[in-house]
Amino acid sequence: MISRSQRIVIWGLVWIALIALSAPTLVVIGASFTSGDIITFPPDGFSLKWYDRVARAGELRAAFFRSLWVATICTLVAMPVGTLAGIALSRYRLRFGNVVQVYLLLPFTIPLIGSGIGLMLVFGAWGALGNLWPIGVACAVINLPFIIWSVSSSAALLDPDLELAAANCGAGRVQTFFAVTLPAVMPGVITGSLLMFILAMNEFLVSLLLVDARTMTLPVQIYNSIRSIITPDLAAVSVVFIAVAAAAIALLDRLVGLEIFLKSK
Amino acid sequence: MPDRSFRYPLRWHVMDALERGADILWPATFSRMTGWLLAAPAILLVGLLVLGLIQIGDASMHVLDTSTFRMSEAYTLANYADAFTSAVYFKVAWRSLLAAALTTALTLAFAFPYAYAMVRTRSATVRKALLIALFLPFFIGQVVRAYGWLIILGNNGIVNDMLGVVGVEPIRLLFNFPAVIFGLVQYMLPFGVLMLAPALTAIPEETEIAAGSLGASWPRAIWHVILPMARPGLIGAGIVVFTLSLTDFAMPAILGGGSQDFIANAIYDQFFRTADQGLGSALALMLVALGSLIVGAVFTLFGAGTLALGARK
Repeated sequence: MISRSQRIVIWGLVWIALIALSAPTLVVIGASFTSGDIITFPPDGFSLKWYDRVARAGELRAAFFRSLWVATICTLVAMPVGTLAGIALSRYRLRFGNVVQVYLLLPFTIPLIGSGIGLMLVFGAWGALGNLWPIGVACAVINLPFIIWSVSSSAALLDPDLELAAANCGAGRVQTFFAVTLPAVMPGVITGSLLMFILAMNEFLVSLLLVDARTMTLPVQIYNSIRSIITPDLAAVSVVFIAVAAAAIALLDRLVGLEIFLKSK
Repeated sequence: MPDRSFRYPLRWHVMDALERGADILWPATFSRMTGWLLAAPAILLVGLLVLGLIQIGDASMHVLDTSTFRMSEAYTLANYADAFTSAVYFKVAWRSLLAAALTTALTLAFAFPYAYAMVRTRSATVRKALLIALFLPFFIGQVVRAYGWLIILGNNGIVNDMLGVVGVEPIRLLFNFPAVIFGLVQYMLPFGVLMLAPALTAIPEETEIAAGSLGASWPRAIWHVILPMARPGLIGAGIVVFTLSLTDFAMPAILGGGSQDFIANAIYDQFFRTADQGLGSALALMLVALGSLIVGAVFTLFGAGTLALGARK
């Protein structure tokens, strides 16, 4: 039985959280449709002129495509690396397995500013800065535990007897891997890859440290612009982020179901 | 007489070739090491971070010569001495720690009821709505969210416009400490809820009902039954939220407007404003040490909570 007072207290707190979570998104969407030249409340009427302006603004559009490219590189790097590591951690008995675990959690335990500056120095020493691929690789490194996590939790659900059964039916190691192991961890691979893509698309601090004027990604571009004047064209660009996020959530829900995040290991 | 019309399918040829290749490259006698082979790419990739730390360590031991703007050749610990004795960095570090502690407490206070309501609700629609409301900001990124807060809280923002309608003078809501805390709590809420929810799912609802039927009021049932059982989740969520807010850059930079710098902002300024790589590196390494120390201390005191990587059953 849930008492009345409990419902009021819990849902009161949930509503405060809900408002705080959604307010910036809703306001940005609202502001992007204003017909005025500055952002006011209530808005000055409806228009799509800021979207039109953004579509023509070469810089913002270029920054958007750079962010897409960075996210693609990050996903292409992280998907195989994270999948294999996730399988290794949950299905193989590694000697010093605990050490490997702690080591692979380094991207989370080292603060982003530390990782970012370290990678900046490393890529700088290699003369790689000024390209987009170091940013993609950097995003793959700093978020790698996410995909290892999601793959290893699906791999832990696979009954080891299935792999033995495949071998018993004459499948070699490669065939067992592709026909049994990989399909079983696919939900984890999909979840992890989507997360990697979205997080790389949004990555701000590490991008900020690795970009120059030619490789500016969209979050960095927005950050640089809000420090000067706040105009509605930024709201229109931000709506692109919101749309990408919404698409990713819909995809995630279709493919594996959002409820997967509520399951206990 | 074997049937000659049967053609061995191409896929089988390919698979046989792959198996043979695998046998040559990685004979079955190596199978004890297969786990390491699979983990190797990840170990190499994370190795980039280790290389980075080594580079930072090296840079931190050279001082900036202000007359030539070059780093000194000789190794010295002068940067660490500077960082330790500077009142400015002490203040910045203190501000970051205080903000991280406040953010953690507030985030857990809101994340717990959110996760609780999401796990316990009977309606699948409500659960999905709560999940979507959580994921959308999580997937949008810090900069866009901070931008939204600028529109809402700015001097000509929505809140002040509404106050103006009622006849209240505009209040300066941004560029102060509470604004940064507010932004951080909002940023951390999805992390907190997503780390807590699995821990709460694992607690059977019957335990609460049992506590209630034994006479516990609901606050006591939560305090004495649910919270202790959710401890691994609370620890995991607490660590993640604390370390992420301690080392955050964007919220203090955007919502603090330069007056509320955290450690990360101070490090950035050393690299990109003062161009003193040495001092910046020393500060960065000290932040890494501080973060690892805190995480390590919590791990040894309370266990790894829900953060363990290999989900072995």
